[in-house]
Formats: sequence, structure tokens, C-alpha cells
Amino acid sequence: MKRVLPVIAALLLLAIPLGVSNQFLLHLGITVLMWTILGLAWNLLGGYAGQVSFGHATFFGIGAYTTMILYLSFRLAPWYGMALGGVLGALFSLPIGLICFRLRGPYFSLATLAVAEIIRLVALNWESLTNGPVGLLITSLPQVTVFGAAINWERKEPFFVIVAVLALCAMLAAYLFTRSRLGSYLTAIREDEDAAEAIGIDTTRSKVTVLALSAFLTGLAGGFYGLYFRYVDPDAVFLISLSVEMVFIAVVGGLRTIAGPVVGAIFLTTIAELFRERFMVGHLIFYGLFMMLVIRFLPEGIWGRALRILTGRR
Amino acid sequence: MTAAMETLIQSLVNGVLTGSLYAMIGVGLTVIFGVMRIINLAHGEMVMLGMFSAYWSYTLWKIDSFLSAIVWVPLFFLAGMLAYRYLVRAIMPGGELNTLLYTAGMSLLIANVALFAWTGDYRTLNLPYAVEPLHPFGIAVPVPLAIAFGLAALITAALYVFLARTDTGRAVRATSQNPEAAALMGINVERIAMITFGLGTALAAAAGVLLVPSLYLYPTVGEILVVKCFVIVVLGGLGSIPGAIAGGILLGVIESFGAVYVSVAYKDTIGFIMFLLVLLFRPQGLFGAARS
Amino acid sequence: MALLEVSGLTRDFGGLRAVSGLSFQVGAGEILGLIGPNGAGKTTVFNLITGFLRPTSGDIRLDGLRIAGLKPHAVVRCGIARTFQIVKPFPNLSVCENVALAALVRLGVRAEAEADAERALKQVGLGDKLDIPASDLTLSDQKRMEIARALATHPKLLLLDEPLAGLNPRETEDACQLVQAIRAGGVTVVLVEHVMKAIMRISHRVVVICQGEKIADGPPSEVVADPAVITAYFGKRAR
Repeated sequence: MKRVLPVIAALLLLAIPLGVSNQFLLHLGITVLMWTILGLAWNLLGGYAGQVSFGHATFFGIGAYTTMILYLSFRLAPWYGMALGGVLGALFSLPIGLICFRLRGPYFSLATLAVAEIIRLVALNWESLTNGPVGLLITSLPQVTVFGAAINWERKEPFFVIVAVLALCAMLAAYLFTRSRLGSYLTAIREDEDAAEAIGIDTTRSKVTVLALSAFLTGLAGGFYGLYFRYVDPDAVFLISLSVEMVFIAVVGGLRTIAGPVVGAIFLTTIAELFRERFMVGHLIFYGLFMMLVIRFLPEGIWGRALRILTGRR
Repeated sequence: MTAAMETLIQSLVNGVLTGSLYAMIGVGLTVIFGVMRIINLAHGEMVMLGMFSAYWSYTLWKIDSFLSAIVWVPLFFLAGMLAYRYLVRAIMPGGELNTLLYTAGMSLLIANVALFAWTGDYRTLNLPYAVEPLHPFGIAVPVPLAIAFGLAALITAALYVFLARTDTGRAVRATSQNPEAAALMGINVERIAMITFGLGTALAAAAGVLLVPSLYLYPTVGEILVVKCFVIVVLGGLGSIPGAIAGGILLGVIESFGAVYVSVAYKDTIGFIMFLLVLLFRPQGLFGAARS
Repeated sequence: MALLEVSGLTRDFGGLRAVSGLSFQVGAGEILGLIGPNGAGKTTVFNLITGFLRPTSGDIRLDGLRIAGLKPHAVVRCGIARTFQIVKPFPNLSVCENVALAALVRLGVRAEAEADAERALKQVGLGDKLDIPASDLTLSDQKRMEIARALATHPKLLLLDEPLAGLNPRETEDACQLVQAIRAGGVTVVLVEHVMKAIMRISHRVVVICQGEKIADGPPSEVVADPAVITAYFGKRAR
């Protein structure tokens, strides 16, 4: 039963476009799923390993730009570009991790913030590669036929299926991660880094590895962003507030759980998207507000608390 | 004077003038960190709110933006104390990362409420007496920046006197050096923390008021300012007031030289790279003594 | 050949020399006490041996193999485990999980690691507290758990940083017996300690350091009579 349930849930998720044709609702679902991936990815590093990064927009932006540039310059279909975006994000994360992981706690967070700002400024100014502040635009996506029918990229359904598959993969990856030795090592690192070293855990390598995994998933989501919105510019994909949103999704939903980022994304993204639909600006008000409320009253997050009530602990 | 020499001095002057305001923001962040170990990510929003306060004073009520500081600075001092008492204090036992996340939430909330209320438009404030720059010794000095520099120096000096000469000021310094010992000596650490948070907020807002005629103004300006602010306090050593002043002026000069001699586009990058280098190799700051 | 060989070990902090040209050896099967007045550099020596600090100069060898400058996790894999002066448990994990993690690093298989952890915990007398969160243990039990965690890495050499500090007489006695049992089990022990009476009783040999330099090295009975040691501890007047 316990094994069947997730499979049924996954199938139901993938079947949503069969039953829902309202484009706004699908758009909402797509956004929620994209943020779920980002929250999950951040949670691997920030939740399980306790390393609070304020610079994840870097990997998101790298993924988005990789996908766009490969398509625009080399006509590489964006779905391949997306995967390569993840890989490039992971590659970039290696030097970044080696530098920033020399610092601990809040100092690590500040360092990631600085690195992200450096990368944003480079993206803004390296015009021959990124087209600078003007950004990159894809006017049309390549034709694909599935079972003899051409996919209509003007509709939301295909995007929903793509992002749902990605989100399911991310959840599976997170699940496998929590059961892996690396997951255990990172728990030790979160609890006490010196003690972790003292029992023989290579803390730097473990942290760099989880950062790479996290960056890969973030880059993947970035690639999807490029594919879905068909437009990127540095202020859309490299901004600090984007990094902060990822943090908030995971924290508000519940750190160190797989369902937490899902809950966080459903909750925060839905409110924000509805607000954005109506007022255009200021939709992050709720992110800030709920972050403060959660830290103050619900430090284990919405799902974390729900889980505690459900399992009847304390 | 040769042209090259003139450029050098001109960018030095620009750097020091802007740097003095950076210094003030940095001092605000660093006193809060010193006493409470809070890295206040909402500090940039305090500057932003200071900027908007002065801006609206001028546009709505025709009050000179510099003059409006007399009203705004004490108000922000009060607001800071209240924010600490009713918002931040309860979070303190959760540890440094929790306060970091909490103030990040605060920052996003304030910036987006401002965005909602005032839109994301870029605004500028042009003071009537500030059109033509001064030209002492052939160096162009923008009037609003010169006034701001003077006032920033004055406020910083006043802060110094407060910390050095008054009982409350001494208590702030004592708490910053060792909270437990300070508490044992009968200092009301809670009260000092509240005053310090007010002080830090007031300094940020004051810097905002002074900066408004010289900078573009928009609701998310705090995001960039707060990151610069970290650069400053890390350069000078977290928690050190003289360090923050030196760090602020240093960053101003680095940016100004960077814009002239490297490239305008990458001037901010230089600051961030220095920030990383200092964090990695001299975490006690450029001017701090090495500790074990 | 000695198990651990420290020669010319030096460490500077800025302008301050915390450890200066320190040399000593630890034979296999020994219990060595490392003592000295406050600030003598004892914990620094531990941190240097275990890789938490890099030596400014000097050499450290385990079984003839150079370990100076290795990262802590690499030192552990060479066979040196340690405890901390201020205990560092994984506070939110259970006692068994704490120790099982150490065994997991070595063994790589969860079930074996847990069995190994239980063995180590029984050895230190915590066999009945496996599922309690580590943060709920008393200080004395936390210290025991830390020793079990160190033992779970299967070290040749165990470094204990003030294992007796903060314990009551009864607990001190138990801890001394534990140290002797560990040695009897084939693990060499070096301990840093302030509690003089106990260390003089259980150590085969003591090394005294003062201001980062070695001032005495020998059996406890000789060292306590050494004028240099008395001066270091009580000042010139006491003589």
C-alpha cells in the first residue's frame, strides 16, 4: 500500500491535463510544480545539510540561459538544453562550493549571496553571450509529434506534463537522497560539523556533492523556465529575491521533508500568482509575511507541523 | 595639474563622498550585529524607507529633504525599537540562521509592500539649489553629495560621542564585547538591544534621507544596498564601528576607481570579489587583529 | 617503534606561538596523560594531531606514516579518534544513531553499523539508552557516548580531551575504569586532563607542557616531584 500510493498520486498528477483545460489553472499548476522542484533542490542543501544558500538563483539562471543560448545559437532542442543546463549548473556549483564551504553558518550564506551577485553582474554585462539587459527571446519552439499528433506549444498542457515529470524525478531523487549514506553524512554535518569530521566524514566533499545535486535540479528548473516563458533576462533569472523565494518555499513548507517544498510551493505560489494576476506587483508580500509567521510560530513549517499532528508525536 | 592627476583626484573625492554614506549604513548594521549577533537582511529596506520618507516630504509637503531628517531620524529610531521589541526579540533564541531567515522575510515583505504602494518606477529628487556642482580646486563636487557628506560626518561623530561618553553608550559597547559579563554587571541587556536596534535603524534611515538627492529611488533599491552593506562590514570586520567606517569609505573609493579605471559595468563586481577574498582569508576584517 | 611520534611540532596564531617545538612519543598499549596549566596548549596539540589545525612546522607520524596536515576525516581513517573538551553530540539524533553514523562511515552498511554501534554503547555502559535523543543525556553520559562514537571508528589511538571534567567522584571513578577497559581492549589512549589525582593514577606516563613547550616527560611518580613542573603549576614561591 505504501508503495502503491505514490505511484497513484504520480499518475493522477500526470492525468490532470486530461481533465483540466482551463489555461490559467494549468499555468498555476506549472508554476507550482516548477517551484516545487526549486524548493526540493534547495531543501537538499539548506534543509538536510543545514547550509543556507542565498545564491541559488545562480544555478537557475545558468540553466535558463544555457537552454536559451543552445537553442538560439545551435538549434539544440530545448529539452536537451534543459538537461545540459542542469549539468552546467552542477559544474558551476563545484568551484562555488569549494570557495563558499570554507565558511560556516551565516557567513556561508553571505558568501553565496556575493557569488550570486557577481554572476548576475557578469550576465548583465557579458552582452556577446547573454544579450545583456535586453535578454533572450525564443519566438517559436520546434515541431514535435507524439503518436502522430503535433504538439501545440501555444497550449499549457504539454508544459504541464514536462514539468510534472521533472518534479516527480526531483521528488524521487530527494527520496533516494534521504535514504543514502550521503544523506546520513549530511545529517551529521548539520548536527555538528566538527563531530562529523571527527568520525571520518569528508565534510567538504559531502557538501560539495549535495550542492552539485541541488544545483543540477535548480538548473533543470531554470531550463524549464526558459522553455516555458520563452524569454529570459538577468533580472528575471539571476535576482537575489529569486534565491530568497526558493529558501522560503522550503522553510514555509517544512525543512527536511519531501512533501514540505510541495506544500510550500502550493501555498505560497498559489497566493502569489492570484495576487499577481490581479495587481501585477508586490506578490512577494506573502512570501515575506508567511516567512516571518512561520519562523515565529511554526519553525518546523506547515507540513512539518501537520506531520507531527498526524503521527501524533508530542 | 595633469588630466590624469585630475581624474585620479576627482574619482577619489567621489569615492570618499559616496563612501561616507555607505559607512553610515554599515555602522548601523554593524552595531546591531555587535550587540545582538543579528545579520539584519532588512537593513537595506530601512535605507529605502528613509529615502522614500525624504522623497515624499519634498514632493508632497515641499520640505527640504535634508531638513526632513530632523523628523524622520527620531521616528525611525522609535520604529526600530518597536520592531525589535515586537518582531525580532521573540526570534532571538532560535539562533543566527533563524534570525537571518526572519529578517530576509522582513526585507521581502517591506520591499514588496513598498512596491505595491509606490510602484516599481525609478524616481529622482532634484533639489533646486543642487543643479550646478561646486568647483573647489577644479574638482567637481555635486552639492547634495557634499551636504550629505557633511551631515553624515556630523551624525557619525555624534554617534561616537554617544558611545564613548554616555552611560548608555558605554553599556552598548560593553554588551557588544560580552553580553553575559554585561548582564552580570547589571546592564539591562534587553533595553540595550532595543536601543541598539533603534540606533541601527535610525542610521540606515538617515543615510537614506541623505542619499535621496544623489541616487535613483525605487522600492527594491534596498536589495543592492544591503549586499553592499555586507561588503562594507566584512571588509571592516563584523561588529567593528571604526571598521565599518573605513570599510564604507574603502568601498566608495573602490567603486569610484573601478568605474574609472576598470569599467562602469563591473565596478560592483570588484567590491564583491574583495568581499569574498576577505571572508575567506581575513574573516576578522582588513583592519582587525588576528585571533586564534 | 612508537605508535605515535610527534617531533618539533609548532603552531603559531598570528604572533602568538601556542605550541613550540614539541616532541613526544606514545607507545602502543600505553595510557599517556598530557597535562599542563591552563592555556598551556594541550587542546591545541590535540587539534594538531587530529587535523583540526594545521601545524606551522613539525612532524606527526602514526605507525611511521606521516599524518601532519591531513584533514580530520583522513586522520580518523588512519586510526586516530578523538573526543571534544566541550562535548559535541549530534543533539537531535538518538544515542544509537550518533554512534551508528561513525560505524557507517567505516562499514558502509546500515545494519552492520547499527550492530556495531550497539556493541560500542554496551562497552561504555549505555546499552539501555539507545533510543534516547543525545541532547537528553546527562553530561557524564554524553561523554560516554562520545567515547563510544570514537570507538566505533575502530581507532588504534584514542585522544580524550578532558573526559573527567565536570564529573562527580562516582562518575570519575567509572570513567577511569572505562579508560582502562578501553586500553585493555587494545586501544592506546592519550588524555588531556585537569583532574590530577585521577590522571596520575591511570596514566603509565605523563607529558607536561607549559606555554607550548614540554617541561617534563616520565612516569607520574617522577613527574610530580619535578621542580620544573611544580614551578609551572604553583609558581616560584611554592618551591
